[in-house]
Amino acid sequence: MLRQIWIVSALNFKSLRSRFWQSMVIVVGLAATVGVMLSMLSVSAGMRQAYYASGDPNRAIVVTKGVEQEPQSSIARAQAPLIAVAPGIAKDKDGKPLVDRTLMTSVPLLRKDGSKGFTTMRGLSDKGLGVRPEIKIVQGRMFQAGKRELIAGVGAQTMFRHMQLGDKVILPDGEWPIVGIYATGDQLEGQLLGDTETLITTLKKPAYTTMLVRLASPGSLDTFKKAMTTNPALSVDVVRHSDWYKRVGDQNAFGLALLGYVVGTVMAIGALFGCLNTMYSAVSNRGREIATLRALGYDAFPVAVSVILEAMLLSVAGALIGAGIAWAMYDGKLDLFGNVIFHLSVSPHQIELGVIWAAAVALLGGLFPSIRAARRPVVEALRAT
Amino acid sequence: MKYLPLIWTAVMRKPARTILTLLSVTVAFTLFGLMMGLNATFDQVAAKARADRIFTNARFGGAGMPIAVAHQIAAIPGVKVVTAVSGINGYVQDPKNSAFVLMVDENLPKVFGDWGITQQLWDVVQKDRTGIVMSQSQATRWHKKVGDTFTLVSRQMKRADGSSAWTFKVLAIGPDFQQNSNGYIFGNYDYIDKARPAADQGKIGEADLLANDPATSAELAERIDRAFANSATPLVTITEKMARAGNDFGGLDIKKITGGIALAGMFMVLFLTGNGIAESVRERFAEFATLKTIGFSDRAVTVMVVLESALPCILGAGLGVGIAAVLARQIPKLMPPDFGIPLPTISPLVLVWAAASAFAVALLSAALPILRLTRMDIASALSGRA
Repeated sequence: MLRQIWIVSALNFKSLRSRFWQSMVIVVGLAATVGVMLSMLSVSAGMRQAYYASGDPNRAIVVTKGVEQEPQSSIARAQAPLIAVAPGIAKDKDGKPLVDRTLMTSVPLLRKDGSKGFTTMRGLSDKGLGVRPEIKIVQGRMFQAGKRELIAGVGAQTMFRHMQLGDKVILPDGEWPIVGIYATGDQLEGQLLGDTETLITTLKKPAYTTMLVRLASPGSLDTFKKAMTTNPALSVDVVRHSDWYKRVGDQNAFGLALLGYVVGTVMAIGALFGCLNTMYSAVSNRGREIATLRALGYDAFPVAVSVILEAMLLSVAGALIGAGIAWAMYDGKLDLFGNVIFHLSVSPHQIELGVIWAAAVALLGGLFPSIRAARRPVVEALRAT
Repeated sequence: MKYLPLIWTAVMRKPARTILTLLSVTVAFTLFGLMMGLNATFDQVAAKARADRIFTNARFGGAGMPIAVAHQIAAIPGVKVVTAVSGINGYVQDPKNSAFVLMVDENLPKVFGDWGITQQLWDVVQKDRTGIVMSQSQATRWHKKVGDTFTLVSRQMKRADGSSAWTFKVLAIGPDFQQNSNGYIFGNYDYIDKARPAADQGKIGEADLLANDPATSAELAERIDRAFANSATPLVTITEKMARAGNDFGGLDIKKITGGIALAGMFMVLFLTGNGIAESVRERFAEFATLKTIGFSDRAVTVMVVLESALPCILGAGLGVGIAAVLARQIPKLMPPDFGIPLPTISPLVLVWAAASAFAVALLSAALPILRLTRMDIASALSGRA
């Protein structure tokens, strides 16, 4: 049986050249479909990756129980010491625990084109750099504790106006100067950083937003978590930082990804009609050839399978071309959404998705023509002109 | 016209092929209509945005600002007129039925006259301060007509007596405007403000203004922000042009995306119809030779092929754009009532684009087969050797 499938399919593929333009309908249809879909998904995928990169398995984030996004969390100032003395936290050289008391607020800024944008102003406390060693000052200096000054990320510089050293950013209590520029290699680069304790006075807030701790070892998460969740004075969730950003990234990229899938589906339906068209006419043009095979003793099944295989081959080829175009045009390009700056991404994983998409179209588009090919009475087909 | 039966026979020679082609073209043009329709919406909104109108909000907290800020802004050089806009956020009967009543002052028609807020509309709430004006879409949503009462239960804003039910009389129905697909309800700020507890009075949501000189309105906006940067209420000020630029998709270049999708769909269709017509002509090569033998000119044959290729394109384009128009109308019904997504507008320009694209696809598809037909050697074609 396999041998028959192989022989019939090989015969099909050999005759593809004579049906070149007809076959191109499927190839182009799927190239357009997959190309568009992966181009759109490159945005959500790139954004997701920027979030993923921000997490660190060696860190744990402490948030108010049940919250899904950092800004919704609120940790009372009085609870901070309770968290800092918990077991499982790495110690700095001076013996103090590596805990960053984080404070977040949204700051309106002008985008480069003059439209209104927002970014996050994040307060970093005294051990902040120890918890987040990825923060590197690339220009100017670090902000000083107790002073109303801030540092801006290189991403924020790319996205927003007035982000040069010496420029001033308006906060609720007036303007803070930018004294330094930092890089992290993740989505933190689109933000602003300042001193938590100074910022909390500015915002007149009774609470920090979240706490970020460096774990003594990746395995100490459970120890730390247990201490947090069994303490009756606290009502918090403890999540490994990498897992946290994985979820946040998936959540924030969901809408954009959905849009890509919707457009991809609509285009796939268009491509499906094209595929059906081509395969029906391929089957009818080769009616006599198929009938001859059947007369020679070939089963109906291999004939049907060979039709689907042909549709698959053409569709997948189209998908790869489309994915290639999307990759060449967009992979690695800098883009931004909200206050997240990221590189568009067309990854092998997405190309795989494009191929699956194409295979699904081919299966549907090849199925009915294949049934017709297999069912056509041999004698009638042989007589037809 | 006398060719029509011939073209019809040609099209229906393989009905499956014709129908599948038509369906594919329809899908592509549905997408085309939606995408170009979105672009049309952005363009129209951007075109209607006035260069001299500026919006000012509190920069932080979203709690609004004292009405004194609006007066201070009015005193800044370059500012023509300021209107203070606030609102009561609440619901009608059931917390699920969210509604929003704007509270406005006498300068509203000066600043927003081009949105259909006329002096007459304002005058009715000036005369009868307990009343409101509804836009057509809001009146439809709440089943209200002039003379009905409308009760809004506010979520935060209390009346002086502690109750949160605000009852108004509907005095007039105003026109909707495209800048806000949700429509509006507005009442008299002064009356509503005085109905609040003394401690809550004198606060406004935002201040909207006109600049004297449209050319420098962006600078004026920055000047206002700088003037209040170190005050108790830092402001965030933006020109309407910039507020509407790209309809705000987090900085994404949305027109590039919609344009790309529409183009990819057309490319897909081009191959499909091009192949379809080529195949059809190839199959009937001898028939065309016969036609030419009995005296059909090259021009006549060309017209026939173009029409045959145009039929599914034009029909599919019409169907597709029609479906897009229906979808554009249905999308808001599928979304929550206050979900302010931009809706595609099937404007005349979109129709022109769709028609032009359909013709372009039809002509390009027909080009090669026509070339073959005009160059055909009739004798060998008739003998089946071509």
